[in-house]
Amino acid sequence: MDNVQDVFQETPQDVFRPPPMWRVFLREHWLHLLIVAVLIVLPHAIGWITGDSPFGRVRGSRVIMAGESTYWQAIFIEMFSLAVLVMSYNLMFGFTGVISFGHALFFGIGGYAVGIVVQYWDVDPNLAFIAGVLLVIFITSILGLLIGLLSLRLRGIYFAIFTLAIAEMAWLYAGSWRLTRGEDGLTINRLPEWIDPERSRLMVYYIGLALFVTAFLVIRRLVRSPAGAVFQAIRENEDRAKAIGYNTLRYKLLSIVVASVLAGLAGILMGILNKSARPELLGVTYTVDALLITIIGGVGTLAGPVVGTAGLHLLELWVRDSSIILSLNLGLFEFTLNFSQDWILIIGVVFVVVVLVFPYGLVGTWYRLRARVGDWWERRRATT
Amino acid sequence: MTDIILQSHSLRKEFGALVAVDDVDMSIRQNTLHSIIGPNGAGKTTFFNLLSGKYKPTGGRVMFKGQDITDMPFHRRAHMGIGRSFQITNIFPNLTILENVRLAAQAVSPQAFNFWGTVVHHKDLIDRAMHVLDIVGLAGDSLRLASVLPHGDKRKLELAILLAPDPDVLLLDEPTAGMASEQVPEIIGTIDNISKAHDKTVVMVEHNMSVVMGISDVITVMDQGRLLAEGTPSEIANNKTVQDVYLGRLYGDADELIGKDA
Repeated sequence: MDNVQDVFQETPQDVFRPPPMWRVFLREHWLHLLIVAVLIVLPHAIGWITGDSPFGRVRGSRVIMAGESTYWQAIFIEMFSLAVLVMSYNLMFGFTGVISFGHALFFGIGGYAVGIVVQYWDVDPNLAFIAGVLLVIFITSILGLLIGLLSLRLRGIYFAIFTLAIAEMAWLYAGSWRLTRGEDGLTINRLPEWIDPERSRLMVYYIGLALFVTAFLVIRRLVRSPAGAVFQAIRENEDRAKAIGYNTLRYKLLSIVVASVLAGLAGILMGILNKSARPELLGVTYTVDALLITIIGGVGTLAGPVVGTAGLHLLELWVRDSSIILSLNLGLFEFTLNFSQDWILIIGVVFVVVVLVFPYGLVGTWYRLRARVGDWWERRRATT
Repeated sequence: MTDIILQSHSLRKEFGALVAVDDVDMSIRQNTLHSIIGPNGAGKTTFFNLLSGKYKPTGGRVMFKGQDITDMPFHRRAHMGIGRSFQITNIFPNLTILENVRLAAQAVSPQAFNFWGTVVHHKDLIDRAMHVLDIVGLAGDSLRLASVLPHGDKRKLELAILLAPDPDVLLLDEPTAGMASEQVPEIIGTIDNISKAHDKTVVMVEHNMSVVMGISDVITVMDQGRLLAEGTPSEIANNKTVQDVYLGRLYGDADELIGKDA
């Protein structure tokens, strides 16, 4: 025992062996991995069940996008785009406490900028497309930075109104400008083949999935970093954050710029899917959707926007497709509720109910409930 | 012990026609507990806000360790080693108690703008936060949300937030404001402990007279924006002008203040 090595081997640190890395990783991420795995096989699974090829149907010499699998691919591509938009909004609103009513500005810029570059720039479509994506990243980050700088002067609701004004201005311009083809919107038909949803939708699906996963990971990484902890401090109490020594503007800018770029990328995906960029992309509807879905899913939670987007989108799809008709005859009044026609009313009612039942959003309320049950369990164990 | 750490030179603040702080010269020595008292409207909170950087003075200078900090922005002062509290309780309500303090420790660390690492991997900051929570006696509750704490403990949490970056000077704005009187001795004991056992300079604006008399090394009395008197607690208690102008209005006998009858 006079060997130093032997003495050290007796210390408790050596007796305790942490579980292997992969097991820690699996325990923390099994749900994430499961969801990604399901999304990867989904088009093929649907194709296998329904007998429709995930690559579309062959009609003579052409392949057309028909059948169940490609139909669901389009729905999921739209969901990926919306989920990224909502997640980016949540980074700003839910984690940093910056309220913007003009987030669709970046979404629309994504669709329009790529559209304009591929339609008007007469080069190889691959080059044009990549240049378009880079241009979107460039414009959205610069614009996000400029708008973010104004948050120094404008706080809270004033900042929100300012962003609304900018986005509405862009919406008006896009609807009347010749370059953007006015109200009709800009048709995007010069996309390279590999990303054309009418020719290789499965590829667009996987690109959308990759964007979705990347955005989730980037935001997750960001909010768990030291700088991300400051985001939440700013949301809670910006003056306090300043008093303990944070230059809060710097952190708000980081959050706003990342959110803007992600919204721009989501807009590109939407533009590709629709093969057009229309003024609606810049409209307040998308911002409000992002805001409401964030609230429904859980403000300031990572999973909230994803759960909210998926839940709401699939619900809307089901309600619009359903043939449920409720009739109520009260003699004088006859009240009829046709689900597929009055879908927006049904969604509205669901919204209200969800907000009432889950005051912190679906995911947020679940977390709180879990924490409270855990607390109660701990206390029970401590007393007995 | 007698080094001057914080100093004001003819510091002045006007709000329109009102002169809230009228050419005040004050020196605060290192490792002392220096209280500023005065009746309502004496300008003590304004003076405090000039020291902390919340207000820009109309005239005069603020020196910290011989460096002019008059025009230094709010957040930079924390990096210099000045921590300040607020009159109203000011914490991050929906974060855990540990996170409240950890954020304050992170603010002055090189990790502050790190956006790629993970918070839990910077164990030094967590250790620092736990150490400070231990000093104020909140370590046992570290994982609860700050919003669930009773008011007295919230003020202790504020002290922990101030202490976390290991500042040289603590500026406390009415640390006993809004507290039930039975909680006051506890928080005062904590402040006393911080200043004496942990070698901090504490500058405290206070309303509660008995609190100040018990623990201060130096007391400055302000009235109508000016310095009225400065000295040890017993000097202040026996100062005729102070008795007339301020103490006399509140207390009949100055002896009561220094606790001779207790």
